Amino acid sequence: GTQIKDVVIKPDAPNTLLLDKHADYIAAYGSKKDDYEYTLSEYLRMSGIYWGLTVMDLMGQLHRMNREEIIDFIKSCQHDCGGFSASIGHDPHLLYTLSAVQILTLYDNVKAIDVDKVVDYVRGLQQEDGSFAGDKWGEIDTRFSFCAVATLALLGRLDAVDVDKAVEFVLSCMNFDGGFGCRPGSESHAGQIYCCTGFLSVTGQLHQVNADLLGWWLCERQLPSGGLNGRPEKLPDVCYSWWVLAALKIIGRIHWIDKAKLRTFILSCQDEETGGFADRPGDMVDPFHTLFGVAGLSLLGDEQIKPVNPVFCMPEDVLQRIGLQPDLLKTVEQTQLISQYLHLESVIYSV
Amino acid sequence: MHGRVKVKSTAQQEEEKRKEREKKLKVYLTVRDAIFKKRGNGELDDEALQLTQQLLSSNPDFATLWNYRREILLHLETIKEEEETQKLYEAELLFIESCLKMNPKSYGSWHHRGWVSSRLPRPDWTRELSLCDRCLSLDDRNFHCWDYRRLVVKASGVPVDQELQFTDRLIGSNFSNYSSWHYRSTLLPLLHPESGSEPASPCRKHTNTHTSPTASPQTHSHRVCEEQLLKEYELVQNAFFTDPNDQSAWFYYRWLLGRAEREELISCVYASREGERVAVAFSKPVNALAEGLMLVLDGQQQQVEWRSAHPRFRHSPVWLCELPPGSISDINNEHNLTVHWTEKHTHRDCALYTGRLESWCRDSATDQELFRSELSVEKTSVLQSELQSCTQLLELEPQNKWCVLTIILLMRALDPLGHEKETLAHFQTLKEVDPMRSSYYSDLCSKFMIENTILKMEYAEVRVFSLSDKNLSTLCHLDQLLLVTHINLSSNQLVTLPPQFSMLHCLEVLEADDNVIENLEGLYHLPKLEEVSLKNNQISKLSDLEPLASCPKLTRLDLRGNPVTKTANIQAELSQLLPSVTDLLL
Repeated sequence: GTQIKDVVIKPDAPNTLLLDKHADYIAAYGSKKDDYEYTLSEYLRMSGIYWGLTVMDLMGQLHRMNREEIIDFIKSCQHDCGGFSASIGHDPHLLYTLSAVQILTLYDNVKAIDVDKVVDYVRGLQQEDGSFAGDKWGEIDTRFSFCAVATLALLGRLDAVDVDKAVEFVLSCMNFDGGFGCRPGSESHAGQIYCCTGFLSVTGQLHQVNADLLGWWLCERQLPSGGLNGRPEKLPDVCYSWWVLAALKIIGRIHWIDKAKLRTFILSCQDEETGGFADRPGDMVDPFHTLFGVAGLSLLGDEQIKPVNPVFCMPEDVLQRIGLQPDLLKTVEQTQLISQYLHLESVIYSV
Repeated sequence: MHGRVKVKSTAQQEEEKRKEREKKLKVYLTVRDAIFKKRGNGELDDEALQLTQQLLSSNPDFATLWNYRREILLHLETIKEEEETQKLYEAELLFIESCLKMNPKSYGSWHHRGWVSSRLPRPDWTRELSLCDRCLSLDDRNFHCWDYRRLVVKASGVPVDQELQFTDRLIGSNFSNYSSWHYRSTLLPLLHPESGSEPASPCRKHTNTHTSPTASPQTHSHRVCEEQLLKEYELVQNAFFTDPNDQSAWFYYRWLLGRAEREELISCVYASREGERVAVAFSKPVNALAEGLMLVLDGQQQQVEWRSAHPRFRHSPVWLCELPPGSISDINNEHNLTVHWTEKHTHRDCALYTGRLESWCRDSATDQELFRSELSVEKTSVLQSELQSCTQLLELEPQNKWCVLTIILLMRALDPLGHEKETLAHFQTLKEVDPMRSSYYSDLCSKFMIENTILKMEYAEVRVFSLSDKNLSTLCHLDQLLLVTHINLSSNQLVTLPPQFSMLHCLEVLEADDNVIENLEGLYHLPKLEEVSLKNNQISKLSDLEPLASCPKLTRLDLRGNPVTKTANIQAELSQLLPSVTDLLL
């Protein structure tokens, strides 16, 4: 028979959350600007900054990052067309446009940029079939559909594009297993499923998902080690812990996986020496996996971390500030949140 | 950074590595700056192609460099003869191939290859297809390559049956190949579509085999004709008898066994003289405000305001409205109501006779239509023999969860009530052999138990619904319970009465003792609800009871055995919150 692809968690692997180390790791990461690895990742710098800032905010450490420098950097990355590039000298793209808007939303400073031009840029990338190109070179992908509506929703301008058409395209990427791929006919993949369920949440169309079928496929991503993979017969990875978990949360099925085992897996991917999370136990750490490790633990209910929003991967308090509450399918899991909300309401009434 | 193992090294090794990286960094920065400078000067020449090639070979994700190359190529196209252009682009394809060898999973390289192929004066799609073959022989799960293959197939009109044979080959050499099974799911419905409404008729061979395989099997008509289906069952059985733990074939099998979606229709119209209310149920969630719903009373179109059962739902299977005062309140008058769903060209009538307080008209839903949902309408004999095969496999592999789950689904397709006991036993097995997913199995089992109870209620034609002591962990199909007046949910593991519960528009009595309910959000605007018993639950705060304040007829409430009863001043607080309750048990 097939050997299940998985990892073994060693008995001496970290099993507590090393928040201080992670904060130090992220704070130091951006200060090594002449480092080889750092320089080579310039093509995704804007997203890198979003990962770093978001995880710092989730850990209550946002103040350690250089706000002014970052906002200046973002401003200098906006192009005449309205879109943002990953870094200075690079070309604009929807991926980095979303990251830039997410960062400015974290900093409550969207007014620092020309918002109308951003909206024009996003609108200009929608195709006749409702899909979105990532940039003017025309690559089509459901990731970009998510980037487009997430950017516009954060700016409160979702009405700027043809949402019905956009929904139609994303639904045409739904597969036999209830999941979604990059384009019509593409295989289901947890990262794309996160984007597409997130997209349907933002556009209020989650009832179109076959939640029981998709939820089954998603919970089958959990391997005996507790970690989650992104497709059948693949190795577990901390970032998939996020894509799968967030998608399950969005469709109201997060309780279908074993939370304690997933927590053990995520914690074992920490590096006790340097701080940060790797994709798997014993690998090199990076800010990307550090964000998705911490965000995953937040979705699992870790109270040392701020609650994270599963659709935008941003702290809930930030989205509350701008009045954005994307839909989630309702489950037994959400009762706590709702009773908190009702409680809040009753406090307000009694005052 | 994926899959980079951290290695321990000595101080000397570290120092050497540092120096080496410093050197590499210098080279990188020099080349990058030269490129940016040339681009800034608008230079679109061979030297720029050379420089970008140098960086892209090892950094194919540097998307801007691909963009620059495209600008250069587009420019050179305008100044070169066709033959030269052809050569230029062929050289580009060779370069991309070397990049793909270094990094076969770079979005940028694959997209650029598609772009170049579209610019080639004389594209060689056969070569592109064989490139895909080679790449997939190295990694048969590379989704970038699969997607590029689909692009090539579409552009060059490769027949669908040829691609199906390709998946035959891949699956033949390795059953454990989810990508191939997935591809089959998109190809089969194109090649062997289900022919019309008669499931037993022979396969209508699809004449246009050149259709490009891009339709979505979930949203488009995705059923496969029966003749082909039988062949597929055989293929899948080969797969899971060879390797019963390989999930790919099982996922595919569950899809094969699935059936088309329910028709879109109005499943029930209910009218009540009291409050002059109308409730409408649909076969799937809709947004009635956007659907052109029209209500006609005695030949007159009515202006009404539709609202979903709960404000949380923009899309809901149940919608409510009130008729203008005096429309149907006089019990001596007979009325005829029609609800038109104009967009779907369908409607449903409901007659309210003299002397009757309420009336309804609904689908006499059979189990076939409703809940063999996950499974097909294929001939019983076929499903019967599939069940036999799976039972055989289970004897060899008693711990195999995929097999057990499939047996449950087949049993439900054949006779959900007759197999209820065995089904429950199989669910127990699933929870034991696969404890990580026990909540999934609990929820699925709850769903099936609710379906069975609805079927029994349909047969008995009653409005009393008892689900007590069924180990329910979740509630579903609540839209089917629009007409229920009494529901008993006692002795389960329910945590919440979810917003969907507000679709029980006719509910008068609710018993939900001995659960772990902490949330009553769904007890929202239930106009007839009089008695609620929630003994021994987990309601802990007064605010948890707030939804009940929206139920105007509530007179009896039993909260014994809930933490909230320990709240100071509870009696006074409750009489303020719920003034209609006269019979309060704490």
